[in-house]
Amino acid sequence: MKNTLRNIFHSPKFVIGFVIFFGLLLFTFIYPWFVMADPLEMVGQGNFFKPGTYVSVKDTVDSKYYTLNIQAKSANLGDHIEDKDKADMRDWLVNYGGVSQEEMDAADDNTLVALWLEHYDSKAKQKGLLASKKKAFVRLDKEIQKLASDADMIIAQENEDGELEETASVDSQQYVNTRDISNKRTFVLGTDNFGRDVLTELVQATKVSLKIGLIAGTVATLIGLLLGLLSGYIGGVFDDVIIFITNLFTVIPSFVLLILITYSVGQNARGVTLIATVIGATSWTWTCRSVRSQVISLRNRDHVNLSKLSGHSMMRIVLTDILPYVASYVVMAFILQISSGILAEAQLSMLGLGPSTTTTATLGQMMNWATLYAAHLNGSWWAYFPVVFVITIIAFSLNLMNTGLDQVFNPQLRD
Amino acid sequence: MKKRTIKMVAALASAAMLATSIGVGAFASEGDGSTPRNETLYFGGQQWGAINDWNPMSANSNNAMGIQQKDSTRTLIYETLFMYNLLDNELYPLLGTEWAWDDEATMASMTVKLNPDAHWSDGTALTAADVVATFDYNLKCQSSYGVEMSTFITSMEAVDDQTVKINSVVGDDGVAVNPLMIKQMLQKMYVMQKAYLETVEARCESPEDMKLDKMEDLVASGPYMPYYDDEQKVVFIRDENYWGQAESMWGSLPVPKYIGHVIYKDNAAAQTALEQGEMDVAQLFLTDVQKMWEEKELPITTYIDEPPYNIAGTIPTCWFNVEKPGLDRVEVRKAIAMATDYDQILASAMSNQSPSFADVPRSMMNPSDPEQASFDHDALKDLQWIGKDIEGANALLDEAGIVDTDGDGIREVDGTKLSFKAECPSGWTDWNASLEIVAAAGKEIGIEIETYFPEASVWTDDYTTGNFDILMNSVTGASITNPFYRCKQFLYGPFADLEINYSGNYGHYRNAEADEILDGLATETDPEALKAAYTRLNEIYLTDVPSFGLMYRPDMFYTVNETVWTGYPMNEDGTNIPPADCTDGYGIAALYQLELVEG
Repeated sequence: MKNTLRNIFHSPKFVIGFVIFFGLLLFTFIYPWFVMADPLEMVGQGNFFKPGTYVSVKDTVDSKYYTLNIQAKSANLGDHIEDKDKADMRDWLVNYGGVSQEEMDAADDNTLVALWLEHYDSKAKQKGLLASKKKAFVRLDKEIQKLASDADMIIAQENEDGELEETASVDSQQYVNTRDISNKRTFVLGTDNFGRDVLTELVQATKVSLKIGLIAGTVATLIGLLLGLLSGYIGGVFDDVIIFITNLFTVIPSFVLLILITYSVGQNARGVTLIATVIGATSWTWTCRSVRSQVISLRNRDHVNLSKLSGHSMMRIVLTDILPYVASYVVMAFILQISSGILAEAQLSMLGLGPSTTTTATLGQMMNWATLYAAHLNGSWWAYFPVVFVITIIAFSLNLMNTGLDQVFNPQLRD
Repeated sequence: MKKRTIKMVAALASAAMLATSIGVGAFASEGDGSTPRNETLYFGGQQWGAINDWNPMSANSNNAMGIQQKDSTRTLIYETLFMYNLLDNELYPLLGTEWAWDDEATMASMTVKLNPDAHWSDGTALTAADVVATFDYNLKCQSSYGVEMSTFITSMEAVDDQTVKINSVVGDDGVAVNPLMIKQMLQKMYVMQKAYLETVEARCESPEDMKLDKMEDLVASGPYMPYYDDEQKVVFIRDENYWGQAESMWGSLPVPKYIGHVIYKDNAAAQTALEQGEMDVAQLFLTDVQKMWEEKELPITTYIDEPPYNIAGTIPTCWFNVEKPGLDRVEVRKAIAMATDYDQILASAMSNQSPSFADVPRSMMNPSDPEQASFDHDALKDLQWIGKDIEGANALLDEAGIVDTDGDGIREVDGTKLSFKAECPSGWTDWNASLEIVAAAGKEIGIEIETYFPEASVWTDDYTTGNFDILMNSVTGASITNPFYRCKQFLYGPFADLEINYSGNYGHYRNAEADEILDGLATETDPEALKAAYTRLNEIYLTDVPSFGLMYRPDMFYTVNETVWTGYPMNEDGTNIPPADCTDGYGIAALYQLELVEG
């Protein structure tokens, strides 16, 4: 046993897989110590806020100001406008602003901005200009007005009479230190379509998905092992019956069965444990078949016959003389079952048949909502890519562990 | 031997592949409905699945692109007498030139004048006899709109070729029972050709069978005719002989020669097509639509440049089945409504594309100015709730003695656990997300709400038969009949008695006072009395909470890509053309002002 374990941990593939897997597992346990927020809390009011630290505007205004000698934006306007926009501005001024081509050619960036401020009028007749372009010019104009404005920004508060009273004025060289601001929140991976913190949700979802994988794997392995051992060892009619049932389950596509069962139990009953159990209960067949065939080859070995002659009970023979020989295979199958259980949950949830969205987060649910809200089309990568990554890394690490074990246990693959 | 087999298989396979590719190629060149891009206006989000008939009287038509008789009726193929403009709530002439009640006081009959220039696609004149025949056949074959019309119109008569007299169903006092619905009919009933209807009747075994006729050989009066359709797309072609080019109507033909609609698998596929300029006009809910121009810098725009981007017309609503134990208690209903976070629904489910309840406080009216002016806002102030009021909702339930007695975190009423299913069709993304937010609110106040998203057909069965706890469904949006009809949808008791109820009041709410007010309202014309009645109805609605609006929503989303076409109607552009996707009601006027993008 000790020797086997040492062999296993000498397999680099297994070790890498093991480290990744348990690293992930550890992370899901440690993270909630530091971030205690409810992973399902809808913090952000809007879809897919990008990753970053969000500081309270009010706190920023109330915070201590530091004056820094950093050149403010309004100093050289031209640098802050994109070349494409500048070209558009020139076109507009010549076509609709009554500026001559010569004057335009002679104008440098600053003159361009001055001309723009002087001549641009959103109400001007702009024949032949696309509506989307017209609107883009209105937005560009707003930007330029903001850039060009040298005036201090005045912060005012409403007094008792409902009039505005100036409390402070801010110029462009005043800065605040983000450490002074107490109300801030960092979304390392932004928010999702409901405005939930993706990282916190992802951690919980990973935990839930791993749990689903473990339960599904355990259920599938237990059923498969038990039936495989018995049918292989007992044989005869019992074997025929079991193998008939196994064949039946193999022929029916297990995913279809899975969909039908989860659909029929209704969403209220679709808790994490139930989903996991159903996944396990539909994916035990190949474990059963392989265990059975191994047992059949084992049952006429000398040591088994010796045990039989010694009058040992069937239970004892199966547990002590047969099980240890198939154990290595079962462990490997178990690892693969975990990985396929996690993937099955993701698939189910993508179909909207996973656990309920408001009670728990799972990797599949996160993918499902991100797709429904077109995160993949709108460049909101943080809502789906980390999820895909986690699913991949779990499956990858488990498969790596499996390959590592295979190398240790399978004499044909041994170096 | 083995090698030979492999060779044979390979040869066979390549031969088969060659044959298929030739086959496909031959089919493609035969007529796949492909049209020049610069003569085709492409739509998206209107038609899902292949077209199955061209029959406006059909009960199971899947032809949204061609046939839609609704509050703003689609007049590309068949036409109505008038067109509705949701911007000013007025009717604009189409086949009809003018309409008037013969007697304003009783509204017992109406006279409609037809445009003498109007003719059918086969060249024959469109006359009053056609209008009358349309009404008669709709009744005769018991089409769903025919059945509805028979509740407010007794008959139509052709006075002369260009004049139709419409007789209202009148009450004991000799006053029309529902004049608003007659007005709505002017822009809703597709006028069909008498001669063609007779042909169809002749080939059907019974009048009811006319509803099943595919009408692929249709005769219509609209600017477009069917050109090509299959599972992938629908194409209409302009009728070069369209009557509307007469000076008395549009004075020209619509600009695009073809109307195309590719049938997309889902919203995401359609959005990709829109972004790539393969689609011109999109009736799609697009998450973060502003990113298309702000970040991707595409020539895409919506009717309004700033949030909410569209004109909100309808109120997707959460209906309570008031006959269910627990939901028969007004405190439970109100608590759920108070606890729901509407700002979150607006911001996340609706992607900020409608006004908030802070901008337009809740009532049965949509955010349009005329509807908002129809009631007394001050009278409702104390009744309106803002949402996300967990404390208030909990207090309300505690005071009513609805508490958790067995310690499982869920409250009980008379021993029954407050546990409900909230239902809406699967795949209706923003609705699914909204109900998730309602369910989350339930969790906060000790009411278990599980979401349930079945197929749309199951949902339809459930709401028409009252088989639900909580259900999400919309009400009519901008319409000539509103706000009257919408109030009726929210409150009218007799709807609950219908065996199959498509009309409204899905939760079977009963209030004798509301019924009485609504019965009298259809014929009320005094503005003061109307205002008082609408105010009272809203008071009842907000007090009893038989249902609650989750958000405001545009009747139709309208996002256009100006890669090929431009000249789309935009907010405050002075054209008064509504953002009805260039196809519905007066929105079709847009087709006459489109231009190709130069260069």
